[in-house]
Amino acid sequence: MTTVPAVSAVLPAVAILMPAYEERATLGPTLASLRAASRDRAHVTVFVVDDGSEPPLEIAQELAAPWLEIVLARHPVNLGQGAALETARQLALADEAFSAYVTMDSDGQHGAVDALRLAERVAAGADVVFGDRFAGGSNVPFLRAAVLRAARVFEWAITGLRLADAHNGLRAFSRRAIEQIPIRQNGMAHATEIKQRVRRAAPLVVEEMPVSVRYTKESLAKGQRSLGALGILHDLAIQYVFGERET
Amino acid sequence: MTLAAALLLLLVFGLLVFDWATMRAKNRRVLVLETAAFIAGAFFIAFPNRATELANLVGIGRGVDFFLYPTVIWLVRESLLTRRRRLEDAELITQLARAVAVAESRRIGGSAQSGGAPPQSSGDSASITT
Repeated sequence: MTTVPAVSAVLPAVAILMPAYEERATLGPTLASLRAASRDRAHVTVFVVDDGSEPPLEIAQELAAPWLEIVLARHPVNLGQGAALETARQLALADEAFSAYVTMDSDGQHGAVDALRLAERVAAGADVVFGDRFAGGSNVPFLRAAVLRAARVFEWAITGLRLADAHNGLRAFSRRAIEQIPIRQNGMAHATEIKQRVRRAAPLVVEEMPVSVRYTKESLAKGQRSLGALGILHDLAIQYVFGERET
Repeated sequence: MTLAAALLLLLVFGLLVFDWATMRAKNRRVLVLETAAFIAGAFFIAFPNRATELANLVGIGRGVDFFLYPTVIWLVRESLLTRRRRLEDAELITQLARAVAVAESRRIGGSAQSGGAPPQSSGDSASITT
């Protein structure tokens, strides 16, 4: 549990969009760290979307607090992280008007304090804040770092957005921004899609901020594999060829 | 007749017999169409020179190419249409799963400090936009 909630300002309502798939061991501790970090600093609503875990993920009532509400939704089938994020986005937009919308993984890689710091930047006027794991002292494995560096250049080329990190799930949006960023990519290509949409949206104030991504043996075993980059390229190519479906 | 031609003819007639035996009741029109196509195919397998003569008439050298070219074009088109259909189906499944997830979403804990949040009840929910 995080015990150093070093967030400087008192934040108004913050929405955390959290996809979860089979994160039985890490979801509880992640929510607990959010509860600790946000106490006396923010009113947080976490939109957890269980992406078809079997058996369904359960969240103990005790993890909630007067300052931390949890909304749990469950896809009846596994659709992918992008689809779960989009469900969370829609739930959050239909809820109250939050001052910031933060996307955060449930596998324990992202820090609650970092999430609130990103929200703080949005509350201070930024529209989109991407986490930069390389500047945040993360223990990125060598191969993963190499793939991410290549992905960064690739994303720069196809989105025109030049960032220091790629595919970092820790990011924050203003309402104005997130309203313009629907996610159509059900799989991991959503991270590139988000950047494409940020670029195409009405002018947004885009920032990057150092965050620490903690790689553990478990998260590396379960998380994205480096070869997953090929799947992402495939999904992006399919979207490019067949275009965006009007639904 | 070559061994390959004999095996192909055996395959064609074997498939025809199997399809007539298993699909007769519901798919008579499809079966009639399939039979006509298979008989034409069997003819050209048995008499490849006739296929070559036909190909030469339209400026193609080999009989087999005469059939291969349109088949490849048709298969590529079919593959693209199938892919598009699959994407549309996936989109529909996504929308359906999302609608179920939103309709059955539930709120755990918290208080009414920050107004506007849906009430704490199962099945409250939010209209979705897709």
